[in-house]
Amino acid sequence: MSAKRVILTLVAMCLMAGTATAATLKIGSLSPLTGSYAADGNDIANGTRAAIAAIEKEGGIPGFDKIELFAEDSACDPRQAVAAANKLVNEKVVGVVGAYCSSATIPASETLAEADIPMLTPASTSEKVTERGLPYMFRVCGRDDDQSIAAMKFIKDVLKAKTIFIVDDKTTYSQGLADNVEKLANKEGLKVIAHDHVNQGDKDFSAVLTKIKDAKPDVLYMSLQNSASGALMLIQAKRAGVTAAIIGQDAVYHPQLMEIAKDAAEGMYLTFGYIDEETPSYKKFLAAYEKFGKPGAYSAYAYDAAYSLLSAIKAAKSTDPAKIKAELIKGEMQGASKKIKFQANGESGSNYIIRVVKDGKFANFWDPQTGKKY
Amino acid sequence: MDYFFQQLINGLTLGGVYALVALGYTMVYGIIQLINFAHGEIFAAGGYLGVILLSYMASQGLMDSHPWFGLAFALILAMGYCAMLAMAVEKVAYKPLRQSSRLSVLLSALGMSIFLQNGLMLTQGVYDKAYPTEFTHGGFEWLGVRVSYMQIGILAVTALLLVLLNTLVFKTRIGKAMRATAQDKVMSALVGIHSDKVISTTFAIGAALAAAAGIMVGLYYGSVRYDMGFVPGIKAFAAAVLGGIGNITGAMIGGLIIGMVEILAAAYIPAGGEYKDVFAFVILIGVLYFMPTGIMGENVDDTRV
Repeated sequence: MSAKRVILTLVAMCLMAGTATAATLKIGSLSPLTGSYAADGNDIANGTRAAIAAIEKEGGIPGFDKIELFAEDSACDPRQAVAAANKLVNEKVVGVVGAYCSSATIPASETLAEADIPMLTPASTSEKVTERGLPYMFRVCGRDDDQSIAAMKFIKDVLKAKTIFIVDDKTTYSQGLADNVEKLANKEGLKVIAHDHVNQGDKDFSAVLTKIKDAKPDVLYMSLQNSASGALMLIQAKRAGVTAAIIGQDAVYHPQLMEIAKDAAEGMYLTFGYIDEETPSYKKFLAAYEKFGKPGAYSAYAYDAAYSLLSAIKAAKSTDPAKIKAELIKGEMQGASKKIKFQANGESGSNYIIRVVKDGKFANFWDPQTGKKY
Repeated sequence: MDYFFQQLINGLTLGGVYALVALGYTMVYGIIQLINFAHGEIFAAGGYLGVILLSYMASQGLMDSHPWFGLAFALILAMGYCAMLAMAVEKVAYKPLRQSSRLSVLLSALGMSIFLQNGLMLTQGVYDKAYPTEFTHGGFEWLGVRVSYMQIGILAVTALLLVLLNTLVFKTRIGKAMRATAQDKVMSALVGIHSDKVISTTFAIGAALAAAAGIMVGLYYGSVRYDMGFVPGIKAFAAAVLGGIGNITGAMIGGLIIGMVEILAAAYIPAGGEYKDVFAFVILIGVLYFMPTGIMGENVDDTRV
C-alpha cells in the first residue's frame, strides 16, 4: 500500500466519522395544510417552525447539529392522517406536534403509539384524545369538558339564560362539545329546546335558523368545526332575526369569522384558552413567529408543544420516549399560551375564558374561574 | 302558520338557485344528450368573478354611491365571462368527441370538472373569499314573515331570466335553430342550420345563467369557495332529472321542489336537518320510479332544447 493510499483512506475515515457525529434531530408536525382547515393547519406548522428556530437560537440540542421538521398534511381526514403518521414513522421522527381535528388526531395517534413516538397536540380538545391510555399522548390546549363547563357557567351566571338551543355539525369535536353542553344544561335546570344537527360544508342554515327564531331561546350554542361555516350561520341568523345570544368555541375562533360575517359577528361570545400576551414567553414567541405573519388561534399552542418536546429532549439528553415523558412530566414551563404542567395522563390543564367579538376583534370578556369581567 | 310561510320563502330562495343551475344541465342534455359535469364549476367561476368585481368596486367606493348599477354590472360581466368559458370548454373537451361514444364525452366532462375546480383552487386559494355584503342585510317583515331583499332579488332575477330564456327559445330564430338541432342534428344541418354554432350558443346561455346563480349565492350566503360548485351541481342535476331532463319549465319546477323539500324536511322532520339531502334524493328516486321521464315529461316533440 502506497503512502498516498494510506493518507486517502485516513481522510475518508475521518470524513465518515464526521458525518456520523453530525446527527440531525427529526421531528414531525401533523395538521391540515390543505382544505377547509388549512388556515389553522398552517398556523400549527408555522408555530412548530418558530419553536425550532427559537431552540436553535438558544444553542440547539447538544449532540445534534440541526433540527429538521417534517410538516405533513393531515387534511382533517382520518385516513390521510394515518397515512401521514405512517410517513412520519418511516422518517423515524422522535416526536410529533399535531394534529388539529380530533377526528384525525385520534387515529393518527394510534399509528404513532405503535412506534412509541410521543405526540403533543396543540389543538385537539376532544376528551377521547387522552382517555385511551396511550402512554405518549400529550395535550397542550384545554379539554372539551372543561370548555363546556366554562360555557355553561357563563350561560348561567352572566347571561342568566333559561332556555338554550344547540346546533352542531356532527364531527367528533363539535358533536362531543354540544353533547357536553346539553348534559350540563339538563343538570343545571336549563330547558334544552332542541339539539339539532347540520352537515359539514352546508351553506344554507335558513331552516334551522327559522326554527330558532320561532322558539326564541335565550342562548344559541353553535358548535361548528369551521370558522367559515360559523360566519355563514351568523350572517343568516342576523337576516332571520334571531335575537338569542350566540356562543361559539375555539374552532370558529379565527379572524376569518369577522372577515366574512363582518358586522353580523358583533357580540358573539366564544370560549377560548386565556393567553396572557404580556408574559416574556409570549413576546419571545412573537419574535420567533414574526416571519410567518400574524399568529393564528393555535400558533402559540403549537409553538409551546414543539418547545416542550425539544426542551424535554435536551434535558433528557436522549430521544428515548420514556425519558422524554419523564422530563415532560417533571418540568413546569411558562409557555407562550399558558403555564404548562403535564400530568401523567398527558393533560396540561385548561384555562378557558369567554371572549367576545367587539369592533371586528376578539376581546377578553369574562373569566369563569374568578367570575370577573375584564 | 307564519313559521310555515317563513320556511316556504327559505325553500323558494334555495330552489331558485338550484333552478338557475339546473337550466344549464337540462339545455345541454336536450341538445347533445350530455350530462355536463363541468357546469357546477362554471357556477363557482361566476361566484368568484363576482367577488373580484364587487370587491374592487367596493374598494373604489362605487358600491356605496351606485349599488344597483354595480350589481348589474358585475352580473352582466360575470355572465359574459362564464359564457365564453363554457364555449371554450365545449370547444376543447366536447367538440372533438362529437362522433365518439357518449361515454367518452361523459368522462371528458368529469375531467373538465376536476380541472376547473383545481384551477380555481390554485389561482384563488383554498380559503373562503368574503363578499362585500353590507348592502344585502335589509329586509322587511310582513304578517310575521321576514323577507330579505336578497331573497326577493334572487327570486326576481330567476323569474326574469326564465322569461327571457323562454322567449329566446320559443320566439327567436336561434331558439328555433336550437329546437331543430335538439330534434335531429343531421336533418337540421341539411336544411342549413350550423349545428356547431347552435351547440356552442346553448352552452353559453346555460353558463350565463349559472354565473348569475353563482353571484347571487355569493351575495346571499356571504362567501365563495373553490369547491362550492360540487354540491349545488349535483342537486341541480337532480332537479333537472326530476323535472324531466331536456325540459326548461321542468328544470325550473324541479329546482324549486328540491329546494323546498330540503328546507321543509329540515323544518318539520325530527333530525331532518342532518338528512335533508337524503330526502331530496329519495324524492328523486320516487319520481323516477313512478314517472321515469320526470314530472313534466322528457320532451320528445319540438319544445325540447
